[in-house]
Amino acid sequence: MFEIEIDGKIVNANPGENLITVTDREGISVPRFCYHNKLSVSANCRMCLVDVEGATKPQPACSTPVSNGMRVSTKNDKAKSSQKAVMEFLLINHPLDCPICDQGGECELQDVAMSYSSDVSRFNEGKRVIADSDIGPLIQTDMTRCIHCTRCVRFGAEIAGIMEMGGTGRGDSLKIEPFLQEGIQSELSGNMIDLCPVGALTSKPFRYELRSWQMNAVEGIARHDSVGSNIHIQTYKGKVKRVVARNNDNINETWISDRDRFSCDGLNHENRLQKPQIKYDGVWKETEWDTALVYSTKALLREVIDNKEESKLGALASNNATLEEYYLLRKLLKQVGSDNTDYRLNIKDLSNTINLDSNIKIKDIENIDYALLVGSYTRLEQPMINHRLRKSSLNGATIDVINSMSFNYNLPINSEYILNSSQIANLLARTLKAILLSKEQEIPGYLDKFKVSDADTQLANKLLSSDKSAIILGEHLINSDNSSNIANLISIIAEKTSSSTLNLSETGNSIAAKSTGFVPNENGLDANEMLASKMNAYILLDVYPKYDFHNSVSAINALRDEKTFVIALNSFKDSDVFDYADVILPISSYYETSGTHTNVEGEMQSFSAAVGSPKDIKPAWKVLKVLADLLDLSGFNYTDSSKVTSEAKQQIKQNIEHDREINLINTKGVEIIWQPSPYSTDALLRHSNSLQATKIGQLNTASMSASTAKSLKLSDTDNYLGVPVVISEVVADKCVFISSSNETISEKIS
Amino acid sequence: MNEVCFKNLNEKEPWSLATYEANGGYSVWKRVIKGEFTPEEIIDELKVSGLRGRGGAGFPTGLKWSFMPRNDDGQKYVVCNSDEGEPGTCKDRDILRFNPHSVIEGMAIGGYVMNASVGYNYIRGEFMEPFYRFEGALKEAYKAGLLGENIFDSAVSFDLHTHLGAGAYICGEETALIESIEGKKGQPRFKPPFPANVGLFGKPTTVNNTESFASVPEILSKGGKWFADLGVENSGGCKLFSVSGHVNNPSNFEVPMGTPFKDLLKMAGGIRKGKKLKAVIPGGSSTPVLTAEEAMSMNMDYDSIEKAGSMLGAGSVIIMDDSTCMVEALTRLAHFYYDESCGQCTPCREGTGWLYRVLKRILDGNGKIDDLDLLQQVGSNIMGNTICALGDAAAMPVESFLRNFYSEFEYYIKNGKSMVKDNV
Repeated sequence: MFEIEIDGKIVNANPGENLITVTDREGISVPRFCYHNKLSVSANCRMCLVDVEGATKPQPACSTPVSNGMRVSTKNDKAKSSQKAVMEFLLINHPLDCPICDQGGECELQDVAMSYSSDVSRFNEGKRVIADSDIGPLIQTDMTRCIHCTRCVRFGAEIAGIMEMGGTGRGDSLKIEPFLQEGIQSELSGNMIDLCPVGALTSKPFRYELRSWQMNAVEGIARHDSVGSNIHIQTYKGKVKRVVARNNDNINETWISDRDRFSCDGLNHENRLQKPQIKYDGVWKETEWDTALVYSTKALLREVIDNKEESKLGALASNNATLEEYYLLRKLLKQVGSDNTDYRLNIKDLSNTINLDSNIKIKDIENIDYALLVGSYTRLEQPMINHRLRKSSLNGATIDVINSMSFNYNLPINSEYILNSSQIANLLARTLKAILLSKEQEIPGYLDKFKVSDADTQLANKLLSSDKSAIILGEHLINSDNSSNIANLISIIAEKTSSSTLNLSETGNSIAAKSTGFVPNENGLDANEMLASKMNAYILLDVYPKYDFHNSVSAINALRDEKTFVIALNSFKDSDVFDYADVILPISSYYETSGTHTNVEGEMQSFSAAVGSPKDIKPAWKVLKVLADLLDLSGFNYTDSSKVTSEAKQQIKQNIEHDREINLINTKGVEIIWQPSPYSTDALLRHSNSLQATKIGQLNTASMSASTAKSLKLSDTDNYLGVPVVISEVVADKCVFISSSNETISEKIS
Repeated sequence: MNEVCFKNLNEKEPWSLATYEANGGYSVWKRVIKGEFTPEEIIDELKVSGLRGRGGAGFPTGLKWSFMPRNDDGQKYVVCNSDEGEPGTCKDRDILRFNPHSVIEGMAIGGYVMNASVGYNYIRGEFMEPFYRFEGALKEAYKAGLLGENIFDSAVSFDLHTHLGAGAYICGEETALIESIEGKKGQPRFKPPFPANVGLFGKPTTVNNTESFASVPEILSKGGKWFADLGVENSGGCKLFSVSGHVNNPSNFEVPMGTPFKDLLKMAGGIRKGKKLKAVIPGGSSTPVLTAEEAMSMNMDYDSIEKAGSMLGAGSVIIMDDSTCMVEALTRLAHFYYDESCGQCTPCREGTGWLYRVLKRILDGNGKIDDLDLLQQVGSNIMGNTICALGDAAAMPVESFLRNFYSEFEYYIKNGKSMVKDNV
């Protein structure tokens, strides 16, 4: 560390830092457009020119390294005149159409122009006009406003990992535009809107809605994946208008996925449930909350609590409720003597599930030197985890992939093993054997039948020789015959090789569900058992059977049973709900309720409601509390949700012990892997029109190899389970990989 | 005259290896391979010679070579800048056409000095004949075993590749040239880091002009002092001057530094019949224009031209006689820079277009007298604020044309037509 002088003030600086890092740290304002602390330096806007003593020309603060004893003036005549000169140049071809520009009020060009430009333009020539092209449903372009700072270009190349925007042409015909006609496809594209310092790239769904100063910004947490990205929820008159990123270097840095940004679109969908409804004598009627809750209470008393003969009550929840909701629902059931709670609705065999603890922090992923990615397409499924993984790769890490299908990764993959799930389990078993052999440790009996090849030893050596390796397990294998085997093998391999593990098979807020004990203990029934045995009553928390159950039709049939009383707490209308429910209680959706999200590293992030719930819609935690009160249960005297949070936190179960038994199974026949498209994993996403209009939102493919297609007598003009067939040689043999939001698939698979 | 780069100009097939070797070519390279020179000795000899970068910036070549971290591990590169795009310049073209082996030998020596085993010669996209000449020479040199791995069974290796540009003036800027070799869009990089630390493919790289490389073998063969003595103080050796414009015999001339401009003009056959010298751009279109009086009293060396108010640049002397309309001339130059700006940084992208549009408006008869102040201010706002020197290059002619020929601009604006054409 050494001292430099800026504007007469002596400040500390570190060797290798650029001047702007120091001025930013010291709170000395230097205007800039192209510089962004998370992107590479390009020094092209020239707005940050300052006067460095000894240099004849003014120097850009963003690209000038500090040196001991340097003396800098950011505001003397030389610096100011350069800054003003650049400002004038930036404005001559800018349309200055602030009154009709969405960026107005949050525009860096507008802000800086207030201090650095003159009020009258000296430019009397014709201005440059750029014709716009449609680059997709999320980003609106007005490229005539572009100041060519190239933040969006660098974002694509450096962060998103696909260079979608680029500069074509030269001189004053330089145009920033996507290279391809299909527009912008990245799952992180919305960040370009945040990055753009002018109104060239703005949010399409938010277009012409409001001025930034009209809105309140509330700190929030995104809940669509197990990252829990930090966001600002911008609201106006009780409505969520826009979501933007909030910096948290431990979690999402300054980025968020498009899923987190544009899902709020769905909140005002016409499909929202607005009023409680009860089915009375087979006819649905809208009613008041009191009536609906009393009706529900009476039914619960009649069917369950006072029914000593057979008292079977079940609670099923989606995987994106809040920690508090899981906790209260569990507590309510427990007090009426039921242990039947579950959120794992999409798993065929709940005796064969993935149990794998995560033990790496999100921010540390970028520092690993080797990663083995098993059964995950992190790029679309957990975009911010993928971002860290990509950073590790840019830092020199080697990434290997094991999966049943190859995907379009945005980072270099070293070796890729495309195998079906039994082969994956076998590969991991052989790798474990190779590890044990190399460590000269005892080989357990289940590994006896395996012969270790050179390739297995190579994979083992990569894990053994890396200082900081990680094994990442994703969602694709949750329904394979070897789910628990694979998870256990990974767990043992990680232990033997001192690798970290990251379990991405739990998404949404399911880690919170698990930690509050929302999975049944030995006395309780799991989701599949509940559906198989006739229950007297269910409480369903934000469950949409068509999408959420692995066996939707039979699940709906079980719920529809005449003798089963179903209380459905939902935010959105689902056509089937009127078939199987007896009471429908409209609950708050994302951003309308307070709560807590637990992410993959166990970080519990609480958030408050950004907006009140629309009239006659209540937060689920309050509904559950009142229901408990009406049932005369004790211990529900909560005045606000934070009381629930602190009580729940005291009873959190961390890293539940489980045995690591391994019993490898050979899969027979064609294996189907169904992955809901990334923008259809919860109800809010499914109602976001902008996300649904994207290419990712419209993913609808059943990929299989030519030989698999042949064995199924299919060609690429056919549909398989209602999904168009894509013949692809990057799918493991005897596997069909379905990416689709098609609601009818799940039943057909099971 | 014609003592270094044009030494063999009057020989038969001066570009052939036979002619080059018959006149002492590759003797220095062979001695280098035998280990008769240490890199330090060569650098010292170049420093003594006073050779300054012939591409226009005039930076001492010996000093530049000494900046390369020659003892560091890893690949290093030497690059020859034959992207001769400066309006008025055509000297490198003729070196490539008539003496390509001197460039090869100079680059090989440079590679040896800077411990770079690979070199690139970046040739301007429009130079087809020079490109084939150079490629032919390269083939000859490889065939003769002068290039490649372990040359003449020594430890010295040097591979040389030709890279043809695609017609962008900006690729003559060394870092844009590097980007272009890397296969990217030709846009200058900001400095620091300088190419000597982070250059081609991220490795230490030195970029020199064709004429600089071509001068090296002769300097080492005859000694730095011999070369320095050809010229004057602070401007060693001789230099190629491309004289173009309103002269009777436009051509390239290799003359000692310090040759009076008058003499150079005479060599070029003097001004066209019946006309008088009006203005001279002495170093290529980017350098300030001089009046006839300023030019006639200067000598062709760095200091003298600077004293006269301009720069030696690449030695591209553009002669304008009294039939030249300076408004039209400046507009044409402004259009060139407007067209060739890479568009990366703001002052140049926006400023060159602004300058051109104002000048065009004046030329169309719609100028206002305030435009002249505006032009000067826009020019000075570009000056020094850009990533590379193209911004300065665009601004300097504007400043000097207005300074030296203000009344002509004033006349044009007031009368909507040219003072010169009026009088002709």
